Amino acid sequence: MRAARSRLATLLRRRRIQYALIVILGFGALALYVLSLATSNSELFSRHYPILLLVNGGLVLALFGLVGFQLWSLLGKLRTRVFGAKLTLRLVVMFALMAVVPGILIYALSVQFLVRSIDSWFDVQVDRAMESSLRLGRSALDSMLKDLANKADAMAFDLSEVPQSDHLSVLNQLRERIGAQEATLFNQRGTVIAFSSAERSILAPEVPSAAVLRRVRIAQSYSAVESIPGQGLQLRVVVPITAFGPGQDVRMLQLLQPVPPDIAADADTVQGMYRDYQELLLSRVGLKRLYGVTLTLALLLALLSALAVAFYLSERLSAPLGVLAQGTRAVAQGNLSEQLPVPSRDELGVLTQSFNAMTRQLADARAAVERNQAQLETAKAYIESTLANLSAGVLAFDEALKLRACNVSAGVILEIETASLKDIPLDAWGTAEPRLAPFSAAVREAFEDAADSEWEKQLEHHAKSGERLLLVRGTRFQAADGTGRVVVFDDITHLIQAQRDAAWAEVARRLAHEIKNPLTPIQLSAERLQRKLHDKLGAADAEMLDRSTRTIVNQVAALKGMVDAFSQYARSPEATVQSVDVNQLVREILTLYDAMGSHIRAELAPRLDPVFGHPGQIRQLVHNLLQNAQDAVAGVSEPRITIRTEQKDGALLLAIEDNGVGVPDALLARVFEPYVTTKPKGTGLGLAIVKKIVEEHAGKVEIENLRPHGAAVRIMLPLLAPRTAARKTEAKA
Amino acid sequence: MLSAVVLCASAQGILVTSAEIVPGDDEYYLNADFDIVLGAAVESALNRGVPLTFVVEAQLTRPRWYWFDETAGETRSQYRLSYNALTQQYRVAVGNLFQNFGTLAEALQLLSRVRNRALAERDALKKGETYRAGVRFWLDTTQLPKPFQVTALGSREWSLNSNWHRWNFTP
Repeated sequence: MRAARSRLATLLRRRRIQYALIVILGFGALALYVLSLATSNSELFSRHYPILLLVNGGLVLALFGLVGFQLWSLLGKLRTRVFGAKLTLRLVVMFALMAVVPGILIYALSVQFLVRSIDSWFDVQVDRAMESSLRLGRSALDSMLKDLANKADAMAFDLSEVPQSDHLSVLNQLRERIGAQEATLFNQRGTVIAFSSAERSILAPEVPSAAVLRRVRIAQSYSAVESIPGQGLQLRVVVPITAFGPGQDVRMLQLLQPVPPDIAADADTVQGMYRDYQELLLSRVGLKRLYGVTLTLALLLALLSALAVAFYLSERLSAPLGVLAQGTRAVAQGNLSEQLPVPSRDELGVLTQSFNAMTRQLADARAAVERNQAQLETAKAYIESTLANLSAGVLAFDEALKLRACNVSAGVILEIETASLKDIPLDAWGTAEPRLAPFSAAVREAFEDAADSEWEKQLEHHAKSGERLLLVRGTRFQAADGTGRVVVFDDITHLIQAQRDAAWAEVARRLAHEIKNPLTPIQLSAERLQRKLHDKLGAADAEMLDRSTRTIVNQVAALKGMVDAFSQYARSPEATVQSVDVNQLVREILTLYDAMGSHIRAELAPRLDPVFGHPGQIRQLVHNLLQNAQDAVAGVSEPRITIRTEQKDGALLLAIEDNGVGVPDALLARVFEPYVTTKPKGTGLGLAIVKKIVEEHAGKVEIENLRPHGAAVRIMLPLLAPRTAARKTEAKA
Repeated sequence: MLSAVVLCASAQGILVTSAEIVPGDDEYYLNADFDIVLGAAVESALNRGVPLTFVVEAQLTRPRWYWFDETAGETRSQYRLSYNALTQQYRVAVGNLFQNFGTLAEALQLLSRVRNRALAERDALKKGETYRAGVRFWLDTTQLPKPFQVTALGSREWSLNSNWHRWNFTP
């Protein structure tokens, strides 16, 4: 989205520059055309020349601004390392070189030509020729003028000799003799006295100016060549007529004679040429400046336009590259959804199209791969979770019996770190993990014996926490990469234990029932025998009878106790579950033992959460253990019994340690089974009952021998929430 | 007087030495005198045949606070001063009328005196109202040949302009 917006902004900016370019170029072309028109010859434009110069100068400035802006933005792009900016710069430099070098060359040549050609117009010889022709013209006119003046002098002399009254009649005659165009006589005040003209159409004479009259009045003659627009040149001579008599006025004679038309035309041409030449000469610098300024403006307009166009074109040329780069970056970042706009129909457009096609294909391929991956992962996860949730341990081997995979349960059952067995052949398991030696050997043997068929066997495994009985099944299977073997095993220790426990409970119940029934009659019969026969027998016999009867009664009592113990073992648990403060219970029991004179040290935890269970059973558990401990320390010189409670990991640890004889190692594993005892008079049920109670409370019990002698029994009872405890107990019930 | 002439001769330019509006029979007339010093560059150009165009312009306006000033009367005339190298005469032309002079001073003398130039009709002006009168005299460089226009552009030598000389006039 952001990319699209920035692209739109770029497009708009480019459009703006495009319009600015078009406007400025259009104006520039127009202004330049008008300027060139004005520079060449046109009266209309020459008047507005300064304005034109200003307009063109303004356009040049505008172009400068545009090019500067373009350069600035390009430099900004270079600084921020926009892709394609370097290419744009190179293109700009190339375009600019292409435009600027020939432009400047042509400009230099033009200026050179201009200066040379303007300078070549002016030449000393031309100068001299001009001056000479002008002088020639002047002298020609002067000689004509002098001629006319001489004639005028002669005429004035003639006129001075005739009386003034005859002047009018003589004037025409005299004029015709000398061949002048017009002759006029004035008096001193400039009033026309007589007038004679060769042209009949001229009715009034032409009067000289006051200044001329003033001059002539003081006896000076006046002669001049006068140019009259539209009529060519005219020679005018005014001379005073000397008056002889005192009563005579001072009179003036004016002779007018047009210069012959061909001479006048030549003179006019010479004068015009001279004027133009002088004008050119004067305006040499101005001309150079005029053409120079026009040329320079044209150059600047052309060059700057070329530069601006170069910037614009370069940007346009390199823009698709930038878009491609952006697309590539997007693809590199993993965004395959972006499709680039196709800028043109040229190769770049084709490239962009190919890029788009590639991106689409990549996106499709990646989607397919992801779908497959997801499916595979789902399948794998399903299998793995199935395996993980399987209570049975699963070990998968390759053909060489190297472990390839196993589930969590395998590690839990075997009590090993399965990761350490990865890629170790089954044969070497024994060396890596000595406890596994029998297991690995058995599995290997079973595979060898069974060949290709399935096999099943029970194995004993010496786990860290004790002997485990495993039911192991093995088979071969066909995998994608060759054959494999899989071993599935269950921990059936508990199952067997439960079976054994159930069998014993049944036996105990039956025995108790069967044995208890005859015991009472036996005891009663023995007591009756004693009572009846005691008095009838002699002292010695009576003594023997008493002893025997006592023995029977005692033995029956012992038998009863044993049967009670049996029935207790077989008895179903109490239904009531309640919160039990184990510390309180232990203290109560200890007061009992203290009263009996036993020395038992108590290390009770200062704060202990209650355990949920049967107070009577727990009491019996503690009793049984203390009893065992007392029995164990019976023959020891410094008997010491310690009872310890401790809260640890959400469980209650109850430990009873003694420094008695301990348990023989051979019996250690089976000491919790019924009828396993180390004591000569033991029933072998004490620890069995302990274990039963602990298991009913979802706890764990373990026993170990202490060094140098003695034994420790540790019981872990979970400190459970009431409901959980109740449910557990109910489940057991 | 002498010092003034020297001063005027040394500083090229056009000055308005006097200007007045006089009532005639039907019209008001402008009488003005100028002091014209061409300067070396302009004189040299003239003597080489470049014709010079001078413009004399006069205005009579009534100031209005609420709108542009009302123009009561105006006059404008062009003088063309040229030199004929062949006849060595100066010529002053106004429209079709012309007069030749032997010297530049004579020609300038004619130019510098403006007499009885009709400015406004008598009826157009109200008695007692104060009008603003203005007169100016300048060399029109736009009428010069093009190369001189470029030279004259921004040049002090070619800038001959009296600028507006203004005074109040109450008929």
